[in-house]
Amino acid sequence: MNTNSQSTYPLPQPTSFTKAFWDACQDKVLTVYACNDCGHLFLPGGPVCPQCWSSGLVSQPVSGRGTVYSFVIYQRTYHPAIPAPYVVALIALEEGPRLISNIINCASGNIVIDMPVRVMFETEDGFMLPRFEPFNPDQRNEG
Amino acid sequence: MTNNAVIAGIGHTDFGKLPERTAFGLQAEAARRAIEDAGLIPGDVDGLITDPGPAQGILDGITPHYLALGQYLGLDPAYVGSDILGGTSSVAIIQRAMLAIEAGLCSVCLCVYGDSALSTPGSYSYGRGDDAAFGLFGAVGMHALAAQRHRHKWGTRPEQLAEVALAARAHAAQTPHAQNKRPLTLDGYMAAKYIVEPLRAPDCCLMSDGAAAVVVTAADRTADLRQPPTRILGHGQASSLSTWASPDHFDTLPAARCGPQALARAGLTPDGIDLVMLYDCFTIVVLMQLEDYGFCKKGEAGAFVEGGRIGPSGSLPVNTSGGLLAEGYGGGMMHVIEAIRQLRGTADKRQIKDAETALISGHGLGMNTHATLVLGKSG
Ligand SMILES: [Zn+2]
Repeated sequence: MNTNSQSTYPLPQPTSFTKAFWDACQDKVLTVYACNDCGHLFLPGGPVCPQCWSSGLVSQPVSGRGTVYSFVIYQRTYHPAIPAPYVVALIALEEGPRLISNIINCASGNIVIDMPVRVMFETEDGFMLPRFEPFNPDQRNEG
Repeated sequence: MTNNAVIAGIGHTDFGKLPERTAFGLQAEAARRAIEDAGLIPGDVDGLITDPGPAQGILDGITPHYLALGQYLGLDPAYVGSDILGGTSSVAIIQRAMLAIEAGLCSVCLCVYGDSALSTPGSYSYGRGDDAAFGLFGAVGMHALAAQRHRHKWGTRPEQLAEVALAARAHAAQTPHAQNKRPLTLDGYMAAKYIVEPLRAPDCCLMSDGAAAVVVTAADRTADLRQPPTRILGHGQASSLSTWASPDHFDTLPAARCGPQALARAGLTPDGIDLVMLYDCFTIVVLMQLEDYGFCKKGEAGAFVEGGRIGPSGSLPVNTSGGLLAEGYGGGMMHVIEAIRQLRGTADKRQIKDAETALISGHGLGMNTHATLVLGKSG
């Protein structure tokens, strides 16, 4: 558990379950976990597939595209390294899994649920975090 | 006889900022009051189940909360435990006491909630694991995500969330021990600053130092009790532990599963409930529960609460003592105590006439856990 008394950035603490995800982020690649037995894709990592309980899991790159499932605007600062205001969102990836992240490069008043977003990466204290920005899905095939 | 566990005693402390008091001292006071109210003595207690509250966490890394409290209270019970279901815990420990009594594991079970959260800075502003890296702190962020979904799917307006906050303050104005009796107007609500948008400060419950306890006993020993026993008519529990991997995590609470179960066990429908005590850590959760328990249709809670419907003079008063939003943070145990006062007919100015049935909910963590109790008047 991160506490508010620390002024250093509350970075993720990778475990054996989540290391593959965070390691890929350091290479600016967004991944999910895939079950070799039933094909289920999921986040965050764990000891087994949460659908069939198989332990045959691999890390799999995804498109980095998704939509905003919900979002909120923190107007109170909870941690000195993350001053308000900032946007926290639950992103639904195109491939299915959802993850908590931030929405950047967009005025908070312009964010709406179901808005298309894509991943980009930013460093905090030398650690690469996946964040999301709006994009025009019509340009999807141009990368 | 359909039920053989009853609630025989209630007790609580003041709620507010009590920095000179310890959490254990508050819990001991609530326990003493509950045992006295029941007409029993400490030596009668052969069960102890606790809801430690977040400020106490896991005491020193190894000592379970019930052990520390039981040692202070000098108890050698038959049955013990602590439940850690967040805000669901108070209702959950009463259910566990009922099951233990009905299974013959004990016959007088003390259920205690207590915390010194207001005097323990940061106890509710924790980071949510690795998601703290994105600034997800406190329970408020998770509930704001749900509020945003409700606004998007159903067009729920700030003025409708305000109805919940205004009703809580109006109820608290009639509750002598309430922590926040200051009147709240719609203008005051709309002018309040956001904590995590779309939730403003009055959408968020209080933090409190305080404790509350109830005594659950076997019905066959009620002859020597001081108070008319409150009957447990129905109960249910449901959880959503897969969190947002679950397709409708922020749209439907586990209440939609355990609510009908508890009502069916009681042989009732929402129409047959006289008193509604809903866990109200944030205003949005009251709206979602009104829908998921079937007091109104899905998506219609915003319109349902308009015009003061859940306030003191409305047709469906909710949380008649002010709830977590205004009475104080009593872990959910104070919702149970208010229901029992109403069923006993001892709620003074707040008394709902002819109240015979009550539904009480507990809701906890990142909208992960839920429990329902249906209580009935003695007799
Ligand atoms: Zn699988």
